[in-house]
Amino acid sequence: MGDAPRKNPSDFLGNVLGKPVIVKLNSGVDYRGTLACLDGYMNIALEHTEEWVNGQKKNTYGDCFIRGNNVQYISPLRQ
Amino acid sequence: MLFYSFFKTLVGKTVTVELKNDLSITGKLVSVDQFLNIKLDAVKVTDETKYPHMMSVKNCFIRGSVVRYVSLPPRDVDTALLQDAARKEAQAPR
Amino acid sequence: MSNRPDSDMVDVPVARDTNEPLDLVRLSLDERIFVKMRGDRELKGRLHAYDQHMNLVLGDVEEVITVVDIMEGTDEEVVRLVRRNHEMLFVRGDGVILVAPPQRS
Repeated sequence: MGDAPRKNPSDFLGNVLGKPVIVKLNSGVDYRGTLACLDGYMNIALEHTEEWVNGQKKNTYGDCFIRGNNVQYISPLRQ
Repeated sequence: MLFYSFFKTLVGKTVTVELKNDLSITGKLVSVDQFLNIKLDAVKVTDETKYPHMMSVKNCFIRGSVVRYVSLPPRDVDTALLQDAARKEAQAPR
Repeated sequence: MSNRPDSDMVDVPVARDTNEPLDLVRLSLDERIFVKMRGDRELKGRLHAYDQHMNLVLGDVEEVITVVDIMEGTDEEVVRLVRRNHEMLFVRGDGVILVAPPQRS
């Protein structure tokens, strides 16, 4: 994943689509799951999602929708 | 536009608006606009002892952006119609 | 850009179960969904309507509010859950953090 050619943020997002990612929110909570899709507002759909709150797994969701305004970053999750 | 149309169907009904500062105001819905700003008449604050300054308020205008929830009379909501409208709006190009 | 027929196209190598995130919400209409809100609030209710802002109308709503009380003097934090019910509730979208459909099993 790290060697994929990247030019701009859209290329990056194209590269991580369908892959495991961490989505960190402004609140500090993060979500680990498979990036199903996203839109221009950074609204995100994740699959097989785990919710992590200061280092502890708090919840799991089969699918989840995250409202884009809450997103701080999306990062590929190395496995 | 969906929720603007929806709220217009509730004009004249009694609703409870909960604001982001936790104040809850019950009143008769007078009007609503495209920003979901709301005008209420015959206003009553749910916890009057906590907000004594609201006792003399008889009607008010609420800016849409400060609303957290609006609690609605369930009998006046056609849920099947709402779901159809939501599906239609999802198809319409934004 | 692409005007090709969709019948004999090779799938692009990305996950495309849903085309855009909002489809996930559309597919949850008339289902009981979980909503995580700002201000340590969580809702469970039947989804009757939504729009692109994530404004929602939910029916038979159970709301759970997590309240942290600071004990006087000791600065000890006590976590308390406040539960409320609403028959029919409009939720303003700007407070929504996350929407999850019911777990399929």
